[in-house]
Amino acid sequence: MPEQSDGVIAGTGMGGGMDLAASEAETLEKVPGGPLGTGPAGKPRSLWSDAWHDLRRNPVFLVSSLVILFLVVISLWPSLITSGSPLQCELAKSQQGSQPGAPFGYDGQGCNVYTRTVYGARTSVTVGVCATLGVTILGSVLGGLAGYYGGVWDSVLSRITDVFFAIPVVLGGLVLLSVVTSNTVWPVIGFMVLLGWPQISRIARGSVITSKQNDYVQAARALGASDSRILLRHIAPNAVAPVIVVATIALGTYISLEATLSYLGVGLKPPSVSWGIDISAASPYIRNAPHALLWPSGALAITVLAFIMLGDAVRDALDPKLR
Amino acid sequence: MLLEVRDLHVEFRTRDGIARAVNGVSYGVDAGQTLAVLGESGSGKSVTAQAVMGILDMPPGRITGGEILFRGQDLLKLKEEERRKVRGAGMAMIFQDALSALNPVLSVGDQLGEMFVVHRGMSKKDARARAVELMERVRIPAAAERVRDYPHQFSGGMRQRIMIAMALALEPALVIADEPTTALDVTVQAQIMDLLAELQREYAMGLILITHDLGVVADVADQIAVMYAGRIVEQAPVHDLYKAPAHPYTRGLLDSIPRLDHKGQELYAIKGLPPNLMDIPPGCAFNPRCPMARDVCRTDEPPLYEVSEERASACHFWRECLHDLDH
Amino acid sequence: MGRYVVRRLLQMIPVFVGATLLIFLMVNVMGDPIAGLCGERACDPATAAQLKREFGLDKPLWQQYLTYMGDVFTGDFGTAFNGQPVTELMATAFPVTIRLTIVAILFEIVVGITLGVVTGLRRGRPIDTTVLVGTLVVISVPVFVTGLVLQILLGVEWQWIQPSVSPDAPFGELIVPGLVLASVSLAYVTRLTRTSIAENKRSDYVRTAIAKGLPRHRVITRHLLRNSLIPVVTFIGTDIGALMGGAIVTERIFNIHGVGYQLYQGILRQNTQTVVGFVTVLVLVFLVANLLVDLLYAVLDPRIRYA
Repeated sequence: MPEQSDGVIAGTGMGGGMDLAASEAETLEKVPGGPLGTGPAGKPRSLWSDAWHDLRRNPVFLVSSLVILFLVVISLWPSLITSGSPLQCELAKSQQGSQPGAPFGYDGQGCNVYTRTVYGARTSVTVGVCATLGVTILGSVLGGLAGYYGGVWDSVLSRITDVFFAIPVVLGGLVLLSVVTSNTVWPVIGFMVLLGWPQISRIARGSVITSKQNDYVQAARALGASDSRILLRHIAPNAVAPVIVVATIALGTYISLEATLSYLGVGLKPPSVSWGIDISAASPYIRNAPHALLWPSGALAITVLAFIMLGDAVRDALDPKLR
Repeated sequence: MLLEVRDLHVEFRTRDGIARAVNGVSYGVDAGQTLAVLGESGSGKSVTAQAVMGILDMPPGRITGGEILFRGQDLLKLKEEERRKVRGAGMAMIFQDALSALNPVLSVGDQLGEMFVVHRGMSKKDARARAVELMERVRIPAAAERVRDYPHQFSGGMRQRIMIAMALALEPALVIADEPTTALDVTVQAQIMDLLAELQREYAMGLILITHDLGVVADVADQIAVMYAGRIVEQAPVHDLYKAPAHPYTRGLLDSIPRLDHKGQELYAIKGLPPNLMDIPPGCAFNPRCPMARDVCRTDEPPLYEVSEERASACHFWRECLHDLDH
Repeated sequence: MGRYVVRRLLQMIPVFVGATLLIFLMVNVMGDPIAGLCGERACDPATAAQLKREFGLDKPLWQQYLTYMGDVFTGDFGTAFNGQPVTELMATAFPVTIRLTIVAILFEIVVGITLGVVTGLRRGRPIDTTVLVGTLVVISVPVFVTGLVLQILLGVEWQWIQPSVSPDAPFGELIVPGLVLASVSLAYVTRLTRTSIAENKRSDYVRTAIAKGLPRHRVITRHLLRNSLIPVVTFIGTDIGALMGGAIVTERIFNIHGVGYQLYQGILRQNTQTVVGFVTVLVLVFLVANLLVDLLYAVLDPRIRYA
């Protein structure tokens, strides 16, 4: 028996979740009453290290993480690759093309498109990361608890998520953000957390319900482990994988959503710097200065693409069956 | 010979390398005869059958050599359209798990009738009538009403009966049954095997019965072929083989059947695991697990020695094996 | 089946109430509901107080909600910013957006499913990889960028289409906007169909169909497609509501006077009646579409029907 399960883990990693559950159940059977923590704490690493083994060889993962790393670095220190200020504009240079010091040319207001595109990354990354963190924490806690305890809690939460799904996201953003006067990223992030958590909560609920039925969880319960211990030690390590995948892909869509809301005039407004604002501002004179629209659009598309591909690669690594 | 497989080679190309699933298999079956093909999972017994039926997944599968003669004609040389017409009409297959092998969204009547519509050009109405007849033939109660039902509405045994009815619809000359009773309850297994044997006698068709269960084989089979690592290691009339196996692997299989007269003794098990098909051991593929293995087994691959007119064994020491009746 | 429909209808009620109440609350956060009623300048206090009484805005929020819903069910959606009844705006806006949505759904069905089937059957081949990368790009580029670029290229540079759609919005002018609206869903439909086909292609019942000696086209259409399209149909059905509610961006780019345009105007002018009215109808459309999908699911999959 031990030979076989080792072979499965060292092999192609097919069906990670199931094998994990089985081998954990085994650990528990062998040491009844023994330290419950050791098995489960050590075992999940095999799923993750297996995934990591796959990921390191996946070019999609490598390219997208490099792009994301680059984006994070330039949003923390934009001055690394640009010396100008995104708000320093000369109307005299309006719509001029590529030239030394301004490889992407100038936009309608005479602002340096390159500098603005670089600084725009900060907005997108901040919105994406903060909104995803908020949504994931709120969604996993609510969804996880509902999935674990079930009952009335669960039904109420399910109906609430149904309600949120019935409201189109862009529409909700328009309504809520149209009255906000503060010109920072925080109202946008707040809105995304408010409307985004049901998506994660549904995933978390589903995967907690699945893990809850695993033999090793039943065994832990039979051995008298407390609810919090079962949730954190036994269920969370397994239930977290699908949440991470969905959250990574969602991060890309939040960045896209911020740009869309800014384009519609309710996200960030000038003088804030955001790709959405720049694309919106460049659209009326696109025939004369297409570069002012194409560069921020390209940056936006590459950023969203990087996160979606990262999520795709992580999902493939964590669950080869979905391929 | 109705069907003759000659020196068949099949391999699978995967990301991790080439798996040599079938390595020179030859067997044959006559009309009215039953050949049992025995082996563990991964021994190549199902892959050989799929190659005969022409339903091998290609790629990753690839037939790299050999002939499959059906009524004297090499199926591997036929065009796909001609090959298709042989399937279902000339030869048919019964699968292991009828629940997944039947289409969940079509009624059983549609799935049975389809055989007549496609191969015989019948109208849907006539085909439906034939479907009811078939269901009665395999003794499904209230066939006329149940013909509209879907697979999931039947019990496991009834579903396997439908599977059999579908295979026999056009009265094919050859039927391949791939572990037809494995997914069923023990009590139902016997009924299904009896039905299969009865229908085989009635239609005088050749039957290839693929199984890993020696118990099933004894009652119904005429000939038996034991497969290991993509090769036939022993071939014999069924009673000869049961009386005295000429290969240590066959002996191991026979010894691992629980027997009443050995009650209380520890059950024998062949030690070790089936070989990795990407890395078959040199010499005799069975040598790492063989209690009789000697140096020559690790270097020289044994040919299929002729043991008698009717039987063969791929063991260098088949004589010892044959005469060493009680180890 | 009948009982199932009734149960699903009953389940819709709390979701409908919740969603409309939520939007009602959100809109009331929007600020002064009567701000838009006195034209461009602010209302003087006396008029404001009178207007508030007139609209029942001095009552508690839950009473306002009940009154509003009562009115809605008698067909009174209130008055838009220009004095027109909201129902009149709906009568002109909804047909336009419905036409746009139909075009989008047709793109999803025809292009999305075709691409998905082709790539699913040829997994790993160059065409599969190309389409797969293409879908990722389409999903990544925000709709407003896709829309703007297509508008500029097709409408302005090459002049194949009108860059902005005329008020009547006939089907012919909605082809490119419909494609833009459908783009992201189209990519999802392609990927979903591809995965589903590729998964079912290896299923036992498809192997059985081949073993029965059925011709390839019959194996694909009758056995493979029928099963593979069940999740795709579900996705497309639920997408109807999302498309109509998400048409705001597309309608703004191509200047289409549909639901999105009216909502956008209503939000800019802080006209609560327009916003709540349109959203209420959109929520209803979403719920009804989901119900129909559930029923369709039962028709397509006998395992659900008899469960």
